[in-house]
Amino acid sequence: MKKNNAKTDLQQLIGNTLRRGVMVACLIAFVGGVMYLCLHGDEPMPDYTRFSYDEPHPACYTTLGGIVDGILGWDARSWIQLGVIALLLTPILRVLLSMVDFLREHDWLYAGICAVVLSVIIANSIGGF
Amino acid sequence: MITVLAFTLILLAASYCAGLLGSLTGLGGGVVVIPVLTLAFGVDFHYAIGGALVASIATSSGSGSAYVKEGITNVRLGMFLEIATTLGAVAGALVAVWLNNSVIAVIYGCVLILTAAMQQRRKSDHEGVVGSPLAARLRLYGSWPQKDGTVKHYQLRGVGGGFAVMWVAGVLSGILGIGSGVLKVIAMDGIMKVPFKVSTTTSNFMMGVTACASAVVYIQRGIIEPGIACPVMIGVLFGALTGARLLKRMDVRVLRQIFCVAILLVAANMIYQGFTGGFETK
Repeated sequence: MKKNNAKTDLQQLIGNTLRRGVMVACLIAFVGGVMYLCLHGDEPMPDYTRFSYDEPHPACYTTLGGIVDGILGWDARSWIQLGVIALLLTPILRVLLSMVDFLREHDWLYAGICAVVLSVIIANSIGGF
Repeated sequence: MITVLAFTLILLAASYCAGLLGSLTGLGGGVVVIPVLTLAFGVDFHYAIGGALVASIATSSGSGSAYVKEGITNVRLGMFLEIATTLGAVAGALVAVWLNNSVIAVIYGCVLILTAAMQQRRKSDHEGVVGSPLAARLRLYGSWPQKDGTVKHYQLRGVGGGFAVMWVAGVLSGILGIGSGVLKVIAMDGIMKVPFKVSTTTSNFMMGVTACASAVVYIQRGIIEPGIACPVMIGVLFGALTGARLLKRMDVRVLRQIFCVAILLVAANMIYQGFTGGFETK
């Protein structure tokens, strides 16, 4: 019975993490969005009709260093991107919490599987930044 | 001339509808966001994919918080298949660099047709399935609570086939930014014989994790454009939350049929324009 309680506790924790994570991410993006509209709202819409891998994209929302600099300098687009990154962290946190759960149940096989999934995501992310 | 303000507000409203529709039809917000951006706003497919990626994660985490409590999601199954989808997503993100708008449009159109076809399937609980030895060794069985308070147990099979189809689902997620829900349903419902409710919630759980695997690469490539990501993220999330609430007391069968026709029309448009170069920049 005790174990069952621990199980529901963790499910509750996962559910809350997802909900709060998404809300925090949305709030950050909203703040960035409002700043963006205050600064650029009356400008004509940027040209989104063409995309090229060859043209450089602004560092303020494409590199980790650029995003950090932009956040410190109150750059609206960096703040929105921080919201996107916060959003990305919610599913990753969920995998992490599941891993903790499997470890606690001494389910080594599935703790290992969680670790593999996390390392694929992290390896690809480090390669990206 | 459209100002940034007007574009943002229209996209916010459209994303809300996309999230709402995606949640009511069970397809996810990402699938609807792509045609909204490309066909209605003329946005390049790459930016649209960035928007879809953000929408997929927002839908997955937003509706996931409701599903976790009900205890239907099979976390073991999801996590095991995540190995396939994340590896596939990495491969898809690598391949995506070589694809132009036309090729992406045709791939997307084909996924839509498959989606419409799969919507016609009967939703089955696959009762009395005898699990395979491999599934038993991986402990991929589970149970889910019924409305009358009892618990139903189920077993699975076809682990290898399901894993392979999931890899393809991951590749498509990596290329298109969408959750590839349709392939996840083929793998879990069609091959592994997972009960319908379990496969839907588990697929939703997997969607966010799969999207994360390629997201950072997309940020670095400049595909996730803040001016698009912000209204899409907020709109889709609140649309999905509204949808989840409506779904509890609404009969969506007619809506799903209408939506099926709409999907086919969009698919035809995508494939036609893909072959005639309608999405290429002049």
